[in-house]
Amino acid sequence: MQQKLDSKKYSALRKAKWIPYIYLSPFIVLFIIFGLYPMLFSAWISLHSWELGSPFHQMEWLGLTNFEYVLTDEWFYHALYNTLWLSLAAGIPQHLVALPLAALLFRMTSQKRHILLCFYFLPFITSSVAISLVFGSLFSRDFGLLNQLLAGLHDLELAGIQPLSWLFPEQAIDWQDSSHIRWVIAFVVFWRYVGWNTLLYLSAMKTIPSELFDAARLDGAGFWQQLRYVTLPMLRPMILLALTLSIIGNFQLFEEPFILTAGTGGSGQAGQTLAMYLYATAFSEGDFATASATAWLLFIILFTLCNLIRRINQKDYL
Amino acid sequence: MVLMFVTQVQATTLTIASYPNFDAAIRAAIPRYEKLHPDITIRLVSLSFYDHHNAMTSALATGAGLPDIMGLEQSFIGRFANSGGLEALSAPPYNALQYQQLFVPYTMVQAQNDRGELFAMPADIGPGSLFYRSDLLAKAGVVLDDMTKTWDSFIDAGVKLKQKAIYLVANASDLKDIYIRIGLKPGEGIYFNQAGETLVRTERFVRAFTLAKQVRDLGLDARLQIWSNEWAEAIRRGRVATQMTGAWFAGHLSSWIAPESSGIWRVHQLPEHSYASWGGSFYAIPKAAAHKSAAWDFIRFMTLDQSMQQEAFEKLDAFPALLSAQQTPHMAASINYLGQQQARLIWKDAAANMPVIIAYKYDAMAAEVVRKQMDLVLDNNKNITEALEDAERQIRHKVRR
Amino acid sequence: MSHIKNLKLTHWLIGSMIWLGAVLMVLPFWFMLVFATHNEQTIFSVPPPFLFGDALGENIQQLLSRLPYFWHNLSNSFYIAVVTTILNLFLCSLAGSAFALYHFKGKKILFSLVISTMLLPAFLNMIPNALIIAMFGWFNEPKALYIPAACGAFGVFLMRQFIEQAVPNEVIEAARLDGCSEWELYRYIVLPLIKPALVTLALLTFIASWNNFMAPLVVLHDMESYTLPLALRALQGVGVVPWGAICAGSAIAVMPLIILFIFTSHHLIGRLNQSYLK
Repeated sequence: MQQKLDSKKYSALRKAKWIPYIYLSPFIVLFIIFGLYPMLFSAWISLHSWELGSPFHQMEWLGLTNFEYVLTDEWFYHALYNTLWLSLAAGIPQHLVALPLAALLFRMTSQKRHILLCFYFLPFITSSVAISLVFGSLFSRDFGLLNQLLAGLHDLELAGIQPLSWLFPEQAIDWQDSSHIRWVIAFVVFWRYVGWNTLLYLSAMKTIPSELFDAARLDGAGFWQQLRYVTLPMLRPMILLALTLSIIGNFQLFEEPFILTAGTGGSGQAGQTLAMYLYATAFSEGDFATASATAWLLFIILFTLCNLIRRINQKDYL
Repeated sequence: MVLMFVTQVQATTLTIASYPNFDAAIRAAIPRYEKLHPDITIRLVSLSFYDHHNAMTSALATGAGLPDIMGLEQSFIGRFANSGGLEALSAPPYNALQYQQLFVPYTMVQAQNDRGELFAMPADIGPGSLFYRSDLLAKAGVVLDDMTKTWDSFIDAGVKLKQKAIYLVANASDLKDIYIRIGLKPGEGIYFNQAGETLVRTERFVRAFTLAKQVRDLGLDARLQIWSNEWAEAIRRGRVATQMTGAWFAGHLSSWIAPESSGIWRVHQLPEHSYASWGGSFYAIPKAAAHKSAAWDFIRFMTLDQSMQQEAFEKLDAFPALLSAQQTPHMAASINYLGQQQARLIWKDAAANMPVIIAYKYDAMAAEVVRKQMDLVLDNNKNITEALEDAERQIRHKVRR
Repeated sequence: MSHIKNLKLTHWLIGSMIWLGAVLMVLPFWFMLVFATHNEQTIFSVPPPFLFGDALGENIQQLLSRLPYFWHNLSNSFYIAVVTTILNLFLCSLAGSAFALYHFKGKKILFSLVISTMLLPAFLNMIPNALIIAMFGWFNEPKALYIPAACGAFGVFLMRQFIEQAVPNEVIEAARLDGCSEWELYRYIVLPLIKPALVTLALLTFIASWNNFMAPLVVLHDMESYTLPLALRALQGVGVVPWGAICAGSAIAVMPLIILFIFTSHHLIGRLNQSYLK
């Protein structure tokens, strides 16, 4: 009897050793062909110079020249600055709003919650064409709704004086110029992703055992205290995940600035992100080799950042 | 003109990739061509302007998914011609240079690399002129001939217009774009010369930047991006008195920008006898195309067949690159929208006088660098000498490989 | 008393802010729908239209005449999105299980590789991917779109995180002791426990596949095989852009996504009283 059990366990264990590899095999195959190969290919051509239409064996070896070129290009640093700025300006509000919002939605009746979540999630699935048209119209300098609203508030008259005139601008704001375009982009990115983050946090809140909330309430904790002492600590892994995804996404920000500046990057390239800089190098200049070098630089930056976050997080646990 | 074509035993499908509105000419030609060549079926693949050129860029890079014929816009020709992925039409069996005399002089050169090899055939052109609102000029007391005498007098007219709260131009950088095309020495391109040096610190560029800055400083431009809806709205409402652009603009004005302003727009040659072209479309054959001889036949049909060019001219407002197609009564017809002006004669004249500018490989990149510096000068008050020095440095940096 | 009144006031304030925010979220979308029923002249008038117009029929007509394969494009998008989603659900959960439940050689390195693919901008893969597709001869076929995307790194990442969190070791041990085969383990224990993650992944994969236009741009060269976002972009020329028609097309394009979301969000956030330890 004992022997039979042992052999069954043994063969089960032996099989178990192979199982992960079997499970992973489709992923590995696809990954090698469509993930690893393109990565290696782009790393390879980043070390060469490559003419658009010429065959591959005509590539010239350049070593790190392309990287040197990008690192000495002032527009690269400009784009890096823009990307960092946008990451913070769009990223921080996204999460600051999404967390409390998720907590608030959590307490609502299922119907109301459902409707509200649908509304907040809608921006995430709207197509970029429609976004560019609508936001272009809303933020138009001379004819946009927003400027008209601001002008109306500025000119608002109550008993002969304009009480709000000091608060609102007198002239129409040119949202496209270099000092404003970043705010517009940050706002559109915020608009697009706040619902997504809310959904993430909301679904994570499901996993918090309700006993914790009951206990807190019995102790007299109000909404904000519950948020701070119960929700936040329990949600920590999800917050980390959401933040990491945000950072990765923000660093690769392309669509929103691209469509809002109609592909130009805005006056003085104020709206050009790293990904747009990459795209321009690849498609406007037809220089895929340098574009690959830029992409790998972007990769190194992101990799370092993500590692940093992981280290900080681990330290806190200690 | 006798068209020689090779008949094929089996039906061939010719794939043509193009973009709106250039693809309209192909659509119009398909029924006629297929009737003449029953063994050929034409398949048109259209994508939006940038998507199309991006797709073609990717296709050239990978050598796969290329059409038999590629429609290309003039601003992309330089890069594609030098890519090594297009057939050299100047070489046998095409020998396209034999047709050079049949076209408006400047257009073929646009599709040649700096060694004179031809990579695309011109289909239509965009000779530039000054579009202006005659009523607005009258209101401000501006005399047209005075205004167009020199660039300085152009700016003076702008000052007068400003007094009546009318803008001279939509964007000051337009002046820069025109001015840098004037006064080139033989062998020079706009941004480079034959020795491969960049020319952005020459007097030509300094003056171009200065003129544009002057316009901006005097408040004569509306600071609008062309094709944005603010710009269209400003044109519609008569806030801007002039627009310097290609001949095809008349069609846009009359159809959607300002149809109600019929009769008050006119055209004139650009100030100070300047000539510049806006756009222009070409056909090219990728090296990897499957049906090259059939493709070449079709291209010759579109570009050399007088009746086809005329049809495109009359129905689609595509100004013919083919000289013989310009000998049509349609050319001298009065254009209703432009107040019965025989505007096409003005454009024909402009096309004939257009200077031949050699295209260099990095032109598009240099244009982008210069554009960015112009933005900084106009919007951020950057010093012009500094800006041009930076431009030179950046261009040198990119070209050094 | 005033304490309660204050509370009620803040309650009301916060509540109205949330609803105001919701309106703000939906406003651009509303405009898209409204623009779909107007022609270009009205769209760009000042102020822009707030209410529906009567040009919907006209716009749809224009849409269908400029895009003769419109319905085909719609079904292409649908087919590709559905297949991609199903493949991802299956393959990513398998891969995620492998990472989360087993120890094997090279696990750490492999997982780091997975994450690092997410760090590179997607369009850089365009050229090498196109080369591979060309090699396989899959141009103009849906295969070219759903096979490369069949097991996304993000999906694997998500699955691993969730499985680690939601499937406790005790359950696995207990099941193994009971004589469960590995496959049964996956099928009857892991899968049910990660249902919310599966639904999330399904939703995200579908949306990403549907809205993607970069990949189709490179591998689809035939208007009949286009996906919908690509086809809609083909309407944008310079000058007379049929914005009304484009908005109408975009509105049609976004409908399936909204329906999908409404259905899946029930699963995601519906019954909140269920403890996961069941």
